[in-house]
Amino acid sequence: MSTVVTDPRDVAETVTDPELPMLTLADLGVLREVRTADDGTVVVTITPTYSGCPAMGVMRADLVHALHRAGFADVDVRTVLSPPWSTDWISEDGRRKLAEGGIAPPGHAPVRTAGPVPLSLGPTRRTASCPLCGSADTEELSEFSGTACKALRRCRTCREPFEHVKEI
Amino acid sequence: MHEETVYDALDTAHGGEGQWAFGTGFDDPLAGVDTTVPDGVEPADLGAYCLMLGDDALVLCQRLTEWATRAPELEEEVAIANCGLDLLGQARLLLARAGSAGVLGRSRRHATDSIPDEDALAYFRDPDEFVHHHLVEADGGDFAQTMVRLLVASTFRLALFAQLRESRDPVLSAIAAKGVPELTYHRDHAARWVLRLGDGTSESHRRAQAGVEAVWPLLADLFTATEVETRLTAAGVAVDPAGVREEVRGVLTTVLERATLTVPAWPAERPSPGRAGEHTGELAPLLATLQGLAREHPAATW
Amino acid sequence: MSAPTLDRRETAAVPDEAALQAHFDATIAADRRVEPRDWMPEAYRAGLVRQIAQHAHSEIIGMQPEGDWLLAAPSLRRKAVLLAKVQDEAGHGMYLYSAAETLGADRADLTDKLIEGRQKYSSIFNYPTLTYADCGVIGWLVDGAAICNQVPLCRSSYGPYARAMIRVCKEESFHQRQGYELLMTMMRGTDAQRAMVQDAVDRWWWPSLMMFGPPDDDSPNSAQSMAWGVKRHSNDELRQRYVDMSVPQAAALGVTLPDPELALDPETGRYRFGRIDWAEFKQVISGNGPCNAERVSRRRAARDDNAWVLEAATAYADKHAS
Repeated sequence: MSTVVTDPRDVAETVTDPELPMLTLADLGVLREVRTADDGTVVVTITPTYSGCPAMGVMRADLVHALHRAGFADVDVRTVLSPPWSTDWISEDGRRKLAEGGIAPPGHAPVRTAGPVPLSLGPTRRTASCPLCGSADTEELSEFSGTACKALRRCRTCREPFEHVKEI
Repeated sequence: MHEETVYDALDTAHGGEGQWAFGTGFDDPLAGVDTTVPDGVEPADLGAYCLMLGDDALVLCQRLTEWATRAPELEEEVAIANCGLDLLGQARLLLARAGSAGVLGRSRRHATDSIPDEDALAYFRDPDEFVHHHLVEADGGDFAQTMVRLLVASTFRLALFAQLRESRDPVLSAIAAKGVPELTYHRDHAARWVLRLGDGTSESHRRAQAGVEAVWPLLADLFTATEVETRLTAAGVAVDPAGVREEVRGVLTTVLERATLTVPAWPAERPSPGRAGEHTGELAPLLATLQGLAREHPAATW
Repeated sequence: MSAPTLDRRETAAVPDEAALQAHFDATIAADRRVEPRDWMPEAYRAGLVRQIAQHAHSEIIGMQPEGDWLLAAPSLRRKAVLLAKVQDEAGHGMYLYSAAETLGADRADLTDKLIEGRQKYSSIFNYPTLTYADCGVIGWLVDGAAICNQVPLCRSSYGPYARAMIRVCKEESFHQRQGYELLMTMMRGTDAQRAMVQDAVDRWWWPSLMMFGPPDDDSPNSAQSMAWGVKRHSNDELRQRYVDMSVPQAAALGVTLPDPELALDPETGRYRFGRIDWAEFKQVISGNGPCNAERVSRRRAARDDNAWVLEAATAYADKHAS
């Protein structure tokens, strides 16, 4: 094999999310670590956004493929569950790209503490600005959408329906 | 998005490389996670405990999924699928954890080596090897009963998981930490429906009360620890279900009272027959549907 | 409503219809987008509502053929993939109904029209899913055909629809990929699995070709839709593109497409294919396909059997409105 000059992290950071291809796995905060082991194996660590995420296999295959193409023969993609992913892991770049892609980015995730989780019976009041016209006058149409972390909203100013990545 | 780019991306099948390349067969939900069992913990106990929590999630997911394409509105269609998918994910992690601790029951008598542990456990165990509570296997009834059951099941599970975050088994603790935000919105979603139905129209009130009456007796099984749970609680790995009784009772009472529903008398508690592998007649058909295809092709990979 | 743009337009001297039409025509001619608050000819609005509603209905009805396998998926990973996909489809349906609502339509009314048979959905979903391989073939061929149809719509002249299509296409590409991967896995499996895949391809190939609609010389609404930039390519053009794309994919998979006349034309580099059975298409479209009644009756049952739930939600909201 010819000498590899590329940093494997740079390669892994180009891999995009299968369902939100405007974001890389790094933007999304799913890519946790890239390191080279003593035997030369590139060890990549990823974390699922939620327990049921069915795309882990696809992400793993995409990472392996990208690294193979860049000349890294031995790649080991591992899952890590802790600390759990939350929307706070989405980078500033990621938030900007979401907005550019017409999806309102999340605010800050609720802080979770030890002990019993308090019951919340009222409607969850969330706010999000319209990614199209910027208006803050928007309403939630559905608390859930294609995935658990997205809600469907509508702009009352320009009428655009849009998705909002909720704070989770 | 450029049209040509998208079409190009769709057209890279030949060669077997590119975006169509997978070839991994299956992906283990715990791939690369350190599954060493902590010192002083009996692997058989840890595996058995993971099966209890895993089966509760798997069977409830199956019951919730029966609503797919039949829910009252599209918003509810996605909400129910969301909850089901979260539970399925938790079940996969927990069954894989049981397998990694060497607990596979009799499943390997039927399942070939090509089948991963999580699937061997889900598809090739017999009914008497399933250890979920009757609460999750009962037929869901109408939408009101479905939401009351989801409220009870997720309140109980959330209370357990909140404490399990401190488990001495790092895998179990990580699964619990991942599950807490999920179970929080399952519980709150179900609770809001119980409010709307209980305090909605006279018909919805009647149905919600009937749902409560149908589900309440099943609370009897939830709070008596099995021997496995008792040993693991002492080892700092599991949570004694008796310890979450008051929290669960408090949450359910709050919701029902706000929903103008009558809170039935607390049922006489008993050791859970489900945890001992004793089930009602409703389990066999549920498992026949779940397992039928996989069992028809025991040598297949999917 | 007090949106500033609307006020400005309404308080300005009201332009006459001809001026509005001229402005609209100029927008279309310059390939700019029409937005919800812009003036548009009634026929353009009605045509778009019909098209978007039909698309939304197809997403919702399209949940059923695969949804029937949710309880029986043969591995937990496949169950998760399928559940996520069905959830995506419901999400697309909601999104598209909202896009239709930007044109003044009402979702409940559109749902009624679907249930009463006054609006259509893609004919493909009236075929049954007989084996698990059908779930893979739906991903590969049906979603593949849907993407071919929808990618050009990302440039639709109507802004909300175009933007919805960009999102939907990205997710559909992922579904297609997962479907193809299932088939690939099955083809590497047992003889029984391979036979299942071939059988599913045999049943779905011709119906997938029909998804592009009637041939160009028999497509009544096409010309106006093309002129308005609501549609970008003719039915036959898209169908040809789909065939050209699918043939090498079938070869890579190791399945035979059920058309003895399928052959590469060395002149054009495109594939010639056999005659589509348009009589069957017309039967299915007019409600006589294998599953039409079942598909619609499930939607009707979901609406009618659960009406009490929505009534309760409304009653509760009214009581607690402060």
